[in-house]
Amino acid sequence: MPRRRLCFPRPLRPLLAVLGLALGMGGHALRGGEASVIIPAGDYRPITRATSDPEAIAVAAFLLDILPITNAEFLAFVTAHPQWRRSRVSPLFADETYLRHWTGDLDPGPAAPADAPVINISWFAARAYARAQTKRLPTLAEWELAAAAGYTTPVGRDEPAFKQDLYTWLSAPTPEVLPSVATARATLHGARGLHGLVWEWVDDFDTAMVTGESRADVATDQNLFCGGAAASATDPGDYAAFMRQALRSSLKARQGTSSLGFRCATDLPPPSDQP
Amino acid sequence: MKTSALFLTLLPLLVSPSLRAADACCPPALPAEAPLPAASIYQTEVDFTTDVDTPFHLAELRGHPVALVMFFSTCAYACPATVADLARIREKLPEADRTLTRIVMVSFDTERDIVAVLRQFRESRALDANWVLLRGADDSVRELAALLGVKFKREADGNFAHSNLITILSAEGEIVHQRAGLTGGLNEAAAALLGAVRSGEKSPDA
Repeated sequence: MPRRRLCFPRPLRPLLAVLGLALGMGGHALRGGEASVIIPAGDYRPITRATSDPEAIAVAAFLLDILPITNAEFLAFVTAHPQWRRSRVSPLFADETYLRHWTGDLDPGPAAPADAPVINISWFAARAYARAQTKRLPTLAEWELAAAAGYTTPVGRDEPAFKQDLYTWLSAPTPEVLPSVATARATLHGARGLHGLVWEWVDDFDTAMVTGESRADVATDQNLFCGGAAASATDPGDYAAFMRQALRSSLKARQGTSSLGFRCATDLPPPSDQP
Repeated sequence: MKTSALFLTLLPLLVSPSLRAADACCPPALPAEAPLPAASIYQTEVDFTTDVDTPFHLAELRGHPVALVMFFSTCAYACPATVADLARIREKLPEADRTLTRIVMVSFDTERDIVAVLRQFRESRALDANWVLLRGADDSVRELAALLGVKFKREADGNFAHSNLITILSAEGEIVHQRAGLTGGLNEAAAALLGAVRSGEKSPDA
């Protein structure tokens, strides 16, 4: 992954502590200091929507992990929660893709470096991890709002440098061994690796293709994707968003993939009462 | 003979401390304490709240064959039909089996279907104690929907687009049958429910 430059955040971004820890250290150390950043409130505009849906969804400000969850962090989770180890997990919550690149239950092995994003994680497992940290997965709207930001402006798709990096990543095959999360450059709000490392689970991924009528379920969703999506697209130029939507509609909650990880979110604490 | 019987009695003690509690000393473990089958949705960690405002974990349904739907109480189109279908499925069971069966309705309207609304729903439809009405946080509702394969989405007007799926669960919480759509399939669903009643009787702690 030579195209992923090690980046130096702008002086205004409160990330120096994180960067300092990031240099040459393993997975959990990366999350030392500030672990999450505030994503300011904003509007998420779905790339496709039913005619009855609003053009924009207001998203409240929330806290998002700066980095995707690493193998080292997930190892700590399965160590503490044996029911989520590969050999013990219920087939209801994870299929045979679960952690299949790990060498053993508690041994990530050479294909899963400590500081690389963890992949092959089911949606149930990602949620269980988040719950164990008293966090949650971001919603689709939250994730997309955070991911819309470029390196220096709130609208990355209008930023040439950002767009170039994004499309370079989209067109490159997933490497067999993923690089350290530290290789991802921070975007405007300080989150890193929303693009350029792995795709990420969102809590409501399965609503991605449910439109007005879902009674006939999956087969209909597929049909709608081909024609319907393009017809109602609000920004057909946002190719990356279409890719994410197509990916989400193909996912199953029990199934992980070799390019799908996750990170956690939390509500902002309510504003303290005025005296 | 005596020796081998003694050996068999002691074997669990030798094999594993975890077997000892279940097999050696005591009466058979209660069903609630035996491990759930691998396919039991009752393994989920999330919980719900009843229409009398008590916390409810799905594993409390263990031992009862269950017909379960996800719904929202202000639904004007599909849900009344679903309630009627659930009642009809139950009526197809022999009288004695009806009391063992639980009809479970879980709302995905986390905002509007508060406890009082669910209680009103029960009263207005005269649902007896075999009907279990549940609400839950977003987290719980999403997880259950994913386990059942129910898709739902809140529309701008506050209503929900959703799958219409009646799920029949065994006494151990395994999905044994699903009826999709709004018409037909009641006999099949009732047969699956009856099958769940019968298999539960054969091996109460299986």
